[in-house]
Amino acid sequence: MRYKEYNTNSVLEKCIPIFWEKGFRGTSIQEIVEITGVNRFSLYHEFQNKEGILYNALKLYQKRYGKSKFEILKKKGNLAAVLQEFYVSFLQGKEKHQGCFYIHIGTELADEDPKIKELIREYLSSLESNLIERLLMEDDTKNNPDFYARHLVGLFCTSMSFCLIHSEKQKQHHIANGIKVILNKKFNYATSS
Amino acid sequence: MPQVLNQSYDQLVEKAQALFWTQGFKGVNAKELAIHLDVSTSVIYNKFTKDMLFMGALGYYTSNYSDPFLKQLRETTEGLDSLKDFFYSLIDALLDKTFPKSCLMVNTVVEMRNANQEITDVYQRYFTTLTNSYKVVLDKAIGLGQIKYPEKKDSYAEFLLGVIFSMSILYKIHPKEELRAFIDEQLSFIE
Repeated sequence: MRYKEYNTNSVLEKCIPIFWEKGFRGTSIQEIVEITGVNRFSLYHEFQNKEGILYNALKLYQKRYGKSKFEILKKKGNLAAVLQEFYVSFLQGKEKHQGCFYIHIGTELADEDPKIKELIREYLSSLESNLIERLLMEDDTKNNPDFYARHLVGLFCTSMSFCLIHSEKQKQHHIANGIKVILNKKFNYATSS
Repeated sequence: MPQVLNQSYDQLVEKAQALFWTQGFKGVNAKELAIHLDVSTSVIYNKFTKDMLFMGALGYYTSNYSDPFLKQLRETTEGLDSLKDFFYSLIDALLDKTFPKSCLMVNTVVEMRNANQEITDVYQRYFTTLTNSYKVVLDKAIGLGQIKYPEKKDSYAEFLLGVIFSMSILYKIHPKEELRAFIDEQLSFIE
């Protein structure tokens, strides 16, 4: 039996930044070979094709980075402040890797690749569930958590694209404004006296 | 003998725009671009570079898609109802592929970010026009008594600016009816 000389996750970890920087189409298998140090044959053996590498890279991204950001939503404290921290957490660090890997890849490929479309759908629906959990804890939102969550997911999509060209101040402002507009919506219920 | 171009620069830009819209900038190499435009690669290397054609494509998109679309929006008279029609027609354009893949400007923001000042200047003009168009419609809505808090106009305009970005992702995974319901709810935030 051939001894597997590399760790799958460490290969995928190296692929995430290159897909992020050059896009899926803009990245060749040759570049992946060079950056991972794994030969073409082994890559195909493990992942079938370039698409297979990308699908697995997305899953690893969620496991290693996305999940811990989703945890922010569980923090105690003012809802608007927690949401602000959550969105902004994706927009920090190395400039060319700011944003969300899923939204980045989804923008490029979700129209033509059904598997990517499905991964994006799962990702956003997991975000929605996490938001609902948080919204159920608040008096102002617990009666309509689905409504608020849907629009906070919308704001997530906006922030992960539009805010990529914003200055630090602009992105903070745009996100805070979005949160405020959404949370300001109040539902009036008839009360019996 | 050098190849004689039988297409005008504008024709090349129009064709290039269609390719960049679906494939992005980085996803197209000089050879693919040459094949798509039906010119030799030396034309791309020496005469009309990929960068030039891409800038041309953004200009083409602005003058042929977004400007007429926004001019129409500014000329509407029904305030929030007109905004709803505007977003509904955006949904149609995304789903029926009049816009072949999302909005070219949104795709470019995600792909290129602020890597190139010339492109950043294009965003600036585009988003200024978009914001101003929303403000024109919000003013009409205020005139029609549709907005309870007119002092929030700028905040609403900024919020609306985000809609084109969220729709650019959401249309990929939701059916038309859900997208329309989403728009209805988004507009309900403008009180």
